[in-house]
Amino acid sequence: MPSWIGQAAHRGILTSRYPRAPATEAEVPMTARAPGPPAAGPLPAAAISVCPVGAIGERAVDQGRCIRCARCLAHGLQPVGPVELTVARAEALVAPPGARDPPAPAPPLASLGRSIHVFLVDVGSCNACNLEVLGIANPLYDAARLGIFFTNSPRHADVLLVVGVPTEEMVEPLRRAYEAMPAPKSVIAIGACPISGGAFRGNPGLRPSLDGLVPVDRFVPGCPPAPIQILDALLTVSGRNRREG
Amino acid sequence: MTRSAWREEPADRFALTPDRALAYVAPEGAFALYNDFAARDSVLATGLAPVPPAEVVAAWRDQGGERRPHRLVPPDTVEGYGTFTFPYGPISMGVPESGRFDVVTYGERVLELTPIGGYKARRTLPSLAGRPLADAALRIERLAGNVAAAHVAAFLAAAESAQGTGVPTRELWTRALAQELQRIYNHVHVLGRIAEAASQNVGSAETHALAEQILRLQGHVFGHRWLFGALLPGGPPRRLDLDGRRALAAALAPRSKEFEELWELFLDSRTFVDRIQGTCPVARELAVRWGAVGPTLRACGVPWDDRLRVPVVPYTDLFLALPHERDGDALARVLVRVQEVRSSFLLLEQLLDRWPADGGAPEEAAPPVAPGRGLGRVEAPSGDLVYDVRARDGRIEAVAARTPSDANWPLFSFGMRDAVFTDFHFAFESFGLVFAETDR
Repeated sequence: MPSWIGQAAHRGILTSRYPRAPATEAEVPMTARAPGPPAAGPLPAAAISVCPVGAIGERAVDQGRCIRCARCLAHGLQPVGPVELTVARAEALVAPPGARDPPAPAPPLASLGRSIHVFLVDVGSCNACNLEVLGIANPLYDAARLGIFFTNSPRHADVLLVVGVPTEEMVEPLRRAYEAMPAPKSVIAIGACPISGGAFRGNPGLRPSLDGLVPVDRFVPGCPPAPIQILDALLTVSGRNRREG
Repeated sequence: MTRSAWREEPADRFALTPDRALAYVAPEGAFALYNDFAARDSVLATGLAPVPPAEVVAAWRDQGGERRPHRLVPPDTVEGYGTFTFPYGPISMGVPESGRFDVVTYGERVLELTPIGGYKARRTLPSLAGRPLADAALRIERLAGNVAAAHVAAFLAAAESAQGTGVPTRELWTRALAQELQRIYNHVHVLGRIAEAASQNVGSAETHALAEQILRLQGHVFGHRWLFGALLPGGPPRRLDLDGRRALAAALAPRSKEFEELWELFLDSRTFVDRIQGTCPVARELAVRWGAVGPTLRACGVPWDDRLRVPVVPYTDLFLALPHERDGDALARVLVRVQEVRSSFLLLEQLLDRWPADGGAPEEAAPPVAPGRGLGRVEAPSGDLVYDVRARDGRIEAVAARTPSDANWPLFSFGMRDAVFTDFHFAFESFGLVFAETDR
């Protein structure tokens, strides 16, 4: 008769070695990379016109607006690396290729050490980001090994993960959840929707971004972002990301 | 304690016959178009659904609107000593999406549970008017991300039917393949969530690991973990190529074996089976009357599945098992999902094995229901999904949809009556309800 223990032992360790080792190919899907031009210079006009959300400008691609639909890849753009998983300032999302993320501000939660409690707020998402956020708890990422735990109340939370494009109905619940959190606290915007409205940008009754609602410490671009990007952002706000020093 | 009687009223005019069981999905039927309240009233009047007093329906309709938070089932009145309404949501980690549940209780027992939607309405469907088909499809797949393949497939089928466009055989096979993959993901995810709620920690970890592997597989073969961009019209940017099919075929067998072993262990766990057996039962009469769909309906002993009853290529050419159970409780819904995972693995095997050659005459679209207006129906992971699209010259004029969540909210609400608070998660997850599908 099979048993849980026997089966698990037979399979071996599934868990990612990130952040002790760089993220593997399987952990960083192609959609985690923003499209960009292969060489410096103005971006091809065909790519600009084909973008359904107006993310491609003459000089640079707005990673925060890009919904990773891959249409521009047929018109001269390609997924660029190295993967800049998350950024601290919204301006960095529109940086031209080759520019570095500006020097990171002090991590807001460095004083909390190795115990970070996380609360998820959906202000109008399609459910994919929600599931990617829950995904960091599965054994392949195992956020608990890094001291990251989900909590059921904003009063116990250090980090607010916001997914979705803010609807008028969720503005007040979001504000209340943020105010209920004890200091120090941090907010991470997950996916194109809270950063720029994503695919829903311009629909009536929606806010274009989290601007003016809650202060955001970290932006995680993507539609939806991969769990490894979300882990990266959580480690960064708690001052434990090697890449950030 | 008093309760308004209209829901309990036994009425033999609602007796189950095949015609009646399915009438609610007729093209001009009411439930096909959730937002079309006039049409809904006409079906309520036919006697296929219970008839709440006119003023109840009117009140429900008035607060509907597109955006403001509104009830997803008609209101009932439960009164009695010590009862109060306990609001759960709109933000809670127990349900990762935003939506509220108003629980009428006097302590532990749930007398009435009313789901309230509308908090995250993004007004997607109205915003599609005037857009080219491909741009609209891009937004449809972001309507409910975890069931994107089913939504795009239904939307495209409706648009093609409206415009009379033929579809290459291969494209239809790709749609079926994407849908079956996503069905496996969703069912496995639901099982993982239920195991989590039952504190089956090892089992839920293993199940969530399997779900993540399926997501990675989707990302590998289609270029996107949630299949966005895999089924768009006119040469999708993310294609399924030969390498992808080979990778898929190689990866599926071990995943299928993993799932079998996992499930055997779950059935061995008496605490797990005990916990979900008898939880949130849905009576067959209620399911039929209110137009339940998908695993919720099949768990009540009604073997209806769009893949068999509204067959399209390639399902006409494939062997497909149609699992159903009798008891209508959370265990029955879980068992149906488990068997569907098996059946989807089998379908994927057949699809990959008999992949059609390129070229050949395109398959004809279904005839339009009216000039420039088509219906598309697919069996989404949680049930029958209907899209009603008006399109002309490659542009969308109007889109309406009836999603499985729309159909199943009332059954969840009825099943939760006389349950206790701790039943909530087992019940909620077993229906596979998604607020994003209702708040569009």
